[in-house]
Parts: sequence; structure tokens; C-alpha cells
Amino acid sequence: MEPEKFQQVFKRLEAEVRKVIVGHDDVIRQVLIAFFAGGHVLLEGVPGLGKTLLVKSLSHVLGVSFKRIQFTPDLMPSDIVGTEVLTEANGRREFQFKKGPIFAHVVLADEINRATPKTQSAVLEAMEEKQVTVFGESHTLASPFIVLATQNPIELEGTYPLPEAQLDRFFFKLMVVPPSPVELREILKRTTGTETGDAGKVLPDDGGKVINQMQQMLRQVLIAPPIEDYVVRIVHATQPNLSNSNGSTSPVKQYLRFGSSPRGAQAIILGAKGNALADGRIHVSYEDVARVIYPALRHRIILNFQAEAENVNTDEILAEVVKQVPRS
Amino acid sequence: MGTSTAAQNQESPERRVGRLAARLRNHALWDSLLIFSPPLLIAIYLAVYLYRGAWIAPITFLLLSGAVIGVGLLAVVVRTRPLIPSVRFAARLVDEKTKAKDRFLTLATIDVALSPDALVGRLRREAAALLERIDFRREFPYRIKRSFYWSFLVSLIAAALFHLSMPLMGSTRRQAPAYEKLNELAEKMAQRPPLSELAHDLRTLAMQLEHPNVAEQEKQTLIHKTLEQIEKQQKKEEEKESRALLGEASSTLQGLEQQSARSQQKDTEKGDGGARSNPSQEEQGEGKQSQGGGGDSKGERNAERSKDMRQGQGARGDPKEQGKEKNQQSQGDGKDSQPDPSNKSGKDAGKELTGKTPGGSQEKLGRSRSEEIPQGAPPAERFYQPGEQGKEEVKGARYVTVQLPEELAADSKGEGTISKPSKETRAYPKAPVSNAPLPAYVPEAPTEKQQLPLEYRGIIR
Repeated sequence: MEPEKFQQVFKRLEAEVRKVIVGHDDVIRQVLIAFFAGGHVLLEGVPGLGKTLLVKSLSHVLGVSFKRIQFTPDLMPSDIVGTEVLTEANGRREFQFKKGPIFAHVVLADEINRATPKTQSAVLEAMEEKQVTVFGESHTLASPFIVLATQNPIELEGTYPLPEAQLDRFFFKLMVVPPSPVELREILKRTTGTETGDAGKVLPDDGGKVINQMQQMLRQVLIAPPIEDYVVRIVHATQPNLSNSNGSTSPVKQYLRFGSSPRGAQAIILGAKGNALADGRIHVSYEDVARVIYPALRHRIILNFQAEAENVNTDEILAEVVKQVPRS
Repeated sequence: MGTSTAAQNQESPERRVGRLAARLRNHALWDSLLIFSPPLLIAIYLAVYLYRGAWIAPITFLLLSGAVIGVGLLAVVVRTRPLIPSVRFAARLVDEKTKAKDRFLTLATIDVALSPDALVGRLRREAAALLERIDFRREFPYRIKRSFYWSFLVSLIAAALFHLSMPLMGSTRRQAPAYEKLNELAEKMAQRPPLSELAHDLRTLAMQLEHPNVAEQEKQTLIHKTLEQIEKQQKKEEEKESRALLGEASSTLQGLEQQSARSQQKDTEKGDGGARSNPSQEEQGEGKQSQGGGGDSKGERNAERSKDMRQGQGARGDPKEQGKEKNQQSQGDGKDSQPDPSNKSGKDAGKELTGKTPGGSQEKLGRSRSEEIPQGAPPAERFYQPGEQGKEEVKGARYVTVQLPEELAADSKGEGTISKPSKETRAYPKAPVSNAPLPAYVPEAPTEKQQLPLEYRGIIR
């Protein structure tokens, strides 16, 4: 696929989703980048900001299958991955695998932190391996496959925060912020009147092939070794257990319990490449990296008690890291 | 010009970035050269200045110049090396100038072999299109940095300070001995056959000047004679360099002549005081003369003299005869006249003398002398104490010559105190001469006070 075509498709996808979703331009872009990079996205925001609508719209414009799983405390793993059921056909009884909602191209795991860790962990294998194992039998998931999970930062009673291992499997963590007054007016206009915006399909129903080509194209984007070095330095600088001479910064030492894993660096590079392609470039620039550092690392660095006590968030620490790590 | 620009445009962006890196490297080199050039040039100028002013020898000048240049080059290298821009740096500069969003950085640093050709080709095209917008010469011109101006200013100040301090240095500068200078000139002259004779004369003169026993008057005569010879030769000489050499020799000798005349004048002024100390070589000679008899007779003579002095009756002698005696001494039987340090009578006389001489230090001196001087073989020169005789006649001796008006009157009548004649045919001084050592001579020391018996006050000028 030509880079121009990628950009063209990407722009159209963005435009179509924007017909439904007011504002959240960055979130739409990052979700699309994560999708073409083959990653999963964790969306965090208070209820009613359009998270679910965003995911629905995305699956619609992409022309791929979509399933929604509402996570609740009594949700069982088999409810997600599926189970073997006894069926009778032609006088013979046999166990047949009944696929769960995870077998879709786009899966919305709504309020993922409300399910028990046992259920949450059922999604782990699916997200990482893109396959599920039921009764000893592995079942490959559809390609492309993306899990878009949402979680509510309030009403934390009766919730089960995602473990670090599971958080690390999300490519990006995107913060869905309340709309601005202008955006809110537009939302009202679209939702309370007679005219409702509908997102059209950008890719045909068998758009999987195109999506695969676009995913391959993204990985071919050129990146200069100095930019890779910069990403390495950034990720390295988030390690609180390293001495200052090795690149660790003082806020990191003070407020972080754990730094980013190598998946953080991978996410930054792939995200930057997606960003470059979306801008019509075939090479990564420092600006591309800067745009994806926060969504790629904010859920991979773990705050310590002091940071929580002082109400310091990960974005503040990352801002300090970006400020202190030189580009060359 | 147009062709070169077109050729530049055809160059790949990576090569042009490489050329920019080379250009920036040259800028760094120029910066370093400009920073270190002023102090380097000033240092070389000062070295030349010192050399031309004969402050330093040619070899020192060469070594100094070499060291200055070496240090300068080293400084340039040390400063430039960390400032040499990498290709990455140059690429980033071009990216900033063209707003290429790291296209040049990517092109300059990626491994082309591992990258898709289509993408690299496209990136090259994009970069080349962006490069057309800028001209490296215009965008990256060489500008003289402020550090150069500072370096220049500091160097100028240093040079000015050097020139201001030169007179001060000149006053404290140690003059090389005249004979060394004469020897140098003689060596130079010896290399030129027409001047070889003159070179020999100069060497002889240098030896005479070096010799402490040669009288100042005699030195002056010799200098004058040589000067005349040089002037004669100068008139004959046609070669420019030889003339210059002769001129140098002439000026050196003139300086020596003046110096000699001055020192002689000083001596005369001192001599007017009646009792005089004798730091000059001539006076040393006199002192030696006063001790100058044979080894056997010396102790006796000294004893006699000291006796006379105690009695206040100076031995009288004819001044003319004294002069003769001086000449005889200077003609060099000094070796014969050297006393045997083991000579008992001499030592005794010394003791006697020191005992009578005012001042306890002399007494100490006498005692320490008898303790230190080894018996048997004559001691080395360095073991002699001031006032003792060694190979070089009397070492560090200083004497007081006292002649009373009565003695002078007696001399004029022809009545001289005839001392006991020596076994040798040497003339004996008629004027009483004391060899009582004076305190050590300190140049430019305040005039020492000579204690005299009361009866001599008002008599001795």
C-alpha cells in the first residue's frame, strides 16, 4: 500500500467518526493509530462522554464486526471467551464450542474494572496472544482484533482495579475529557434535534484485507536511530531504581514505584509511526514521538503511595521526564 | 557558478548534509585558530623581541618558538575536537532551517540497505525538494565569534604589559661577564681569516680581564690597544658582516674601557680616605704583595710589622721602591711566595696578629684556622680562611695600609725603616703594611668604621 492511500483512508475514517463524536479529536486519532498498530486501548473517563459511542462508530466505519461486553462483578470468563456446550445433532450428542463475544474484530469491554480479576484475566490471553483456550483447545481470534476497554475513574466501590500486567497489555491509555462548551453545544444540537449524524462506512465489509495492508504499511515507516535512542532514553528515564547518572530523573525517584516496561517503548515507536503516516509522512519525527509518549506510558508507570497522597498524576511525571531528557 | 549549483542540486541530500558537516567542522577549526592565533602570534613576537634584544640565545629562541607553536597547535586540536559537528548535528540543523520534520536526520542516519527502497527514494525526493529552498553559504555563513575579539584584546594587553615591563626587566638583567662576550666575539672572528689575528688578541684580552691579578691600569691599556687595532681593521675591512662584527667588538671594548675607568676612579676616591678597604683585584694584589716574601720569612716579617704597628712606628719605605716591588710581585713569583700552611712561624704570627687586632671575631678566626687546617699536605683552596694564603695568593684578604706623616717625611729624607732582608733577592716593603684581616667585604655596605688608637686620630686622613 502506498503511504498516500494510508493517509487518505485514515483521514476518511477520522472524518466519519467525527460525524458522530463531537470533540475528542486526539482520542479518535489515537484509537485509530492503535488499531492500525495492532494494539488495544484503555479509555478512561466519567460516564456519558461518548466512549461507547466512539467504539461503536469506529467499528462501523471500519466495516468490521463489533461486540460489546458489559463487565459486572458476576461476569464469568466463559461469558467472554465462550464455552463448550452439549449439542445434539443427527442423534449424536457432542460438545460444541460456543464462541464468546471476544470473537469479534472490535470488542468493547465496558467498565472493565467492575469484573473480578478472574474474569479480567480471561481477556489477557485474548489481548496478547490473539487466541483463547477453552477446555484445552485453542481458538484463534479474528484479525484485525482490538479490545477497547473503558473504565470509570469514579464510583470505585466494588471495583477491581486492573493489575499492572493487564494494564501493560494496553497499547494506549486515553483520557476522555468532558467536552468544551462549544463541543457540548454541538452535542446537544446533534442529539436533541431531528438531525442525527450517521457515520458512513469507509471500508467495505471485507475491509480486513485493507486493514492488514495498512497495518503492514505502518511498520515500514522509517525511523532514524537518534529518534529511537531518544525513545529508549525516555523509557529508561522512567525507571525509579536507577541512579540519576543513568537517566532517571528526581520526580521519578520520588513518586514512582515502577517504570515503563519495554512494551512502552514499542508502543511509542509504533504510535509515532502511525502518527507520521496519518500526517502523510513516511518517516518518524521527534514531534510524532512527543505526541504518543503520554498515551503510551501513562498506564505503564506505577505511582507510589507518596504520589497518591500528594495527588501527583502520571502525566505530570511524564512531563518532567520529557523536559529533562534531551533529544540528542 | 550556475553549473556548480546545478551539480549541488543533483547531489543526494545525504551527501549535501555531509558537506555541511564538513563546512561546520571548518568553522569550528577557524574558531579555534582565531582564538589561539593572537596569543600565539604575540608569544612568537615576544620571543623574536627577546632574541633580537639578545635576551635569549638563538637555541633558546628556536626552542621557545617551537614550544609556542606546538602548544598552540595542541590547544587548537584540543578545543576543536569536541566541537566538530557530527552528520546528525548537521542534519538536524538542515531540518530546522527547512522545517523538514527530521527528514534529513532520517536520511543521514538510517541504514538504507535495511529500509524499503521505495520509501527511501521518496524520502530523498522530498528532502531534495526541501534543499532547493536553502543555500548553505547563506544559511550557514562563517561569523567571527566574540571569543576571538576577547582573545585579541587580551593578547594585545599582554603584549603592552610586556613592553611596559621591559625597562624594569632591563634594570634587573644580569650582565654577562665582559670576557665571555669577548670570547664569543673572538670565536666569531676566528671563523674569518682576515680577523683571526684580531680574534687571538681578543682572546688574550679576555684572559687578561678574567685574571684577577692584572691591574686595572694594565687592563685599560690592553683594552685601548686592542680597540685601536680593531679600529684600524675596521677601516681596512670591506666585508659588511666583518665590519659589523668589528663594530660590535669595538662597542664592547669601549664599554669595558668606560667601566674600567669608572672602577679606577672609584678606587681613587676610596683611597683618599687614608684607611681603605680593598675589594678590587688590584688591591688584592697589593695585599698579596704585603705577604709576598718567601715562606720562611713571612711569619717573621708579619711579626715584625705587627710589632711596629703596636709601637705606633710604621716601617717606612720609599714609595718608588714599593712600586718596583709591586711590579716584581705582579711578574709572578706568587707561587713561590705562597706560604706553607703548616709553617709554625706563620701560624704563630697570625695568632699574634689576631690577638692584637681589635675585634673578637679575628681571634675566633685565628683559632678556627689552626683547628681546621690539616697538618702535612697543603690544604685545598677552599679550606683557606679569609686572610690565609693559598694557590691564588691570599684568599679574601683585605688590608689596611697606614702611613704616617712622619714616615712620609722620613721617606723623603731617605730614611726608611729597613726591614730584615729576606734570603731571597726580593725587595722588602719599606712602608709599614699590615696584613690584619678586616671583616668580610660586603658590596655596597655602609662605610665601615675603623677603630683607631686615639693618638692616630687627626693624623690620618
